[in-house]
Amino acid sequence: MRVTSSMMARTNLRNMSQGLARLQETQGQITSGKDFTKPSEDPGRATSAMSTRKDLRRIDQRMRSIEDAQGWVGAADTQLTSALDRMLRAKEIAVNAGNGIAALTPGARSSLAKELRAVRSDLLNVANATYAGRSLFAGTAAGVAYDGTGAFMGNDEAVIRDVAPSNAMTINVTGSHVFGKSGVGAGTLFEVLERMAVAVEAGDRVNAATEQGNLDVAFERLRVSSAEIGTKWATLEQLSVRTQDDKVALKEQLSQMEDVDMVESLIKVKSQESSYQAALQTTAKVLPMSLLDFLR
Amino acid sequence: MPNISSLQTPLSALRAHQRILDATANNIANASTPGYRRQRVETVAQGGAAVNGGGLVLSTRSGVDSLQVTRSADDLLIGRATNEEASLASAESTSTAIGRVEAIFPEPSDIGLASQLDALWSSWSELSTDPASQSLRSDVLAKASTVTATLRRSAVDLAAIADVARERLSLLANEVNGLTAQLAEYNRGVNGLPNVPPSMLDERDRLVNELTKLTGAIVKVTDDNTVAVSIGGHQVVQGLHHERVEAPGGVLRLVRNGQVMLPTSGEAAAVVSTINDVIPRYLSSLDSVAASLVSTVNTLHTAGYGQDGVSGRTFFDPAGTTATTIDLSADVIGQPGRLAAGAPVFPGPVAPGPLDGNQARLMAALADSATGPDSRYQQMISSLAVETRTARQRAEVQTTVADNAIRDAASISSVSVDEEMTQMIESQRVYQAASKVLATIDELLGFLIERVI
Repeated sequence: MRVTSSMMARTNLRNMSQGLARLQETQGQITSGKDFTKPSEDPGRATSAMSTRKDLRRIDQRMRSIEDAQGWVGAADTQLTSALDRMLRAKEIAVNAGNGIAALTPGARSSLAKELRAVRSDLLNVANATYAGRSLFAGTAAGVAYDGTGAFMGNDEAVIRDVAPSNAMTINVTGSHVFGKSGVGAGTLFEVLERMAVAVEAGDRVNAATEQGNLDVAFERLRVSSAEIGTKWATLEQLSVRTQDDKVALKEQLSQMEDVDMVESLIKVKSQESSYQAALQTTAKVLPMSLLDFLR
Repeated sequence: MPNISSLQTPLSALRAHQRILDATANNIANASTPGYRRQRVETVAQGGAAVNGGGLVLSTRSGVDSLQVTRSADDLLIGRATNEEASLASAESTSTAIGRVEAIFPEPSDIGLASQLDALWSSWSELSTDPASQSLRSDVLAKASTVTATLRRSAVDLAAIADVARERLSLLANEVNGLTAQLAEYNRGVNGLPNVPPSMLDERDRLVNELTKLTGAIVKVTDDNTVAVSIGGHQVVQGLHHERVEAPGGVLRLVRNGQVMLPTSGEAAAVVSTINDVIPRYLSSLDSVAASLVSTVNTLHTAGYGQDGVSGRTFFDPAGTTATTIDLSADVIGQPGRLAAGAPVFPGPVAPGPLDGNQARLMAALADSATGPDSRYQQMISSLAVETRTARQRAEVQTTVADNAIRDAASISSVSVDEEMTQMIESQRVYQAASKVLATIDELLGFLIERVI
């Protein structure tokens, strides 16, 4: 095949510009830190990277949901624990009263009744506790859960958070569930306490004994609710840890997909650089050569 | 013994090598002229040295005759190179156009539509945790209008690429008209010439090369040296006649009868396919993302309840189901309280409590839908990535193929300075020797004449 200087110039030029393009690509990877900047550079990995980025954003969102749920359930847990505390005192008074209610002076009975009403008011405060301005036990209703007389103002609907993929968790327990429902059985805890206080005040042994039984039932209900909240707390704790682990794993995956392998790229850029230099040098040497150099 | 006619032999050598030196000079002068094919002077020996056959001179003519200047070119190789260059022009133009489409969608990233959609779903999820918050409600509206703005802008950008391609096609039609006119002119020039001068052939090859790169034209050289050109099956140059073409609305067609030409190669093929296939295809993919967004969100939104306990409102304008027309519904623009965060209570449906955020929660779950806007968008990006990559690889491969074809053609036609130098030295020596012969014969004749007188 005939080879002429214009053909050589053309071939050399093409090879050099290809070498320079490769060098630029690797350099771009190193400076951007990304293996690819456009999806077409690696369609397969770009698609996975898009999914992983989406999963990461979803996980961030889920983390926020879990944190919010933890705040809510934690607040409910604290409130219910203090409610149980107050209930113990109410039970103590009830037992005292049951032992010898007739023997007590009206003054002593009245002070016991007063204390019972104080417990009732404390528990009412618990029942109206809020988290981030929202009543913990009012379901999805706005405003307070119980009014001043102890009547339930909320509803029985669930407050739900998406805490894991296709895992919607009910994070609330409603007032009727924790404190009983008016008109069902012995009514609400607050009704029981009020009737108890009236019975103690009046020295009514029979009624006091009945309400003592009702109080035990109400206490049990509160304990069950508190245990439920405790279980939710434990679940959330687990989910939080797992979600954080997932996030770390996903970030690692994404980094493997998108981030450039520095060592590999640096070696690559070095070798491309030297081959580009070699191309420049040989071109500079060979191209100007012609017969003219040797004719004198 | 020399006679007077012996002077003719060295003279013919002087003439022939004069022409050879001229050709060499011309070759060297055009060594880097694009499209120049090196020229050679063909020489043949004339008879032989005069032989004295018993007093009879058997050969009256001797010496060298330079016949004509021919160009070194293999028309098959040149034709192949031209066709490969046309394929390259098409592949490169396609790759550039689809690369522009890809640039509209910056993925994977934290700024593209994928992340904006996620931000929208995320804002619904936030709203579900605190449905009473006006700021969270406003945030949902803000995120949604970012998404609609991005969809509309992407659609406009796509349309702009098609507009640029349409402009290019009409410029291209003008260039084609110029080239076909010049080829018709060439046909007029060669009409009746027994031998076409090399410079005219070079010019013809240049015109054919440009026309083929533009349109993938098929060119035939007829017996009378004229060229016949057809584009997409339609004759555009025949003898002295040429057809004008025009490009209204993204198609290439004949001016005379409006017949549409479908170029199969060359830049025109790529431009026509960009206008009529690539852009409409991605626009419709984008429309399907928008349509799916509008329908899935609106279905949930009309079923949900706003803060005021009213349901049945739309979130996106139900009339705008394409990427170009998508917008927020007049029901909710500037009315964050009307966002339907609450889910109806079953059986019923009954309006939920004012702090219910379950519909917002369901809305956020659309992010994971396998048929929702997110996955459609992702499918679109993934097929765009594959198509872009394929187009680029085709262009790369075609570059090599075309380069090889060009090199093959050039190996016959291009000027080698070394060769020309050698030729020059050879001619110079022959010229010197012929001069010497001439001088010697002259001297001998002179000597003879002096003696006779």
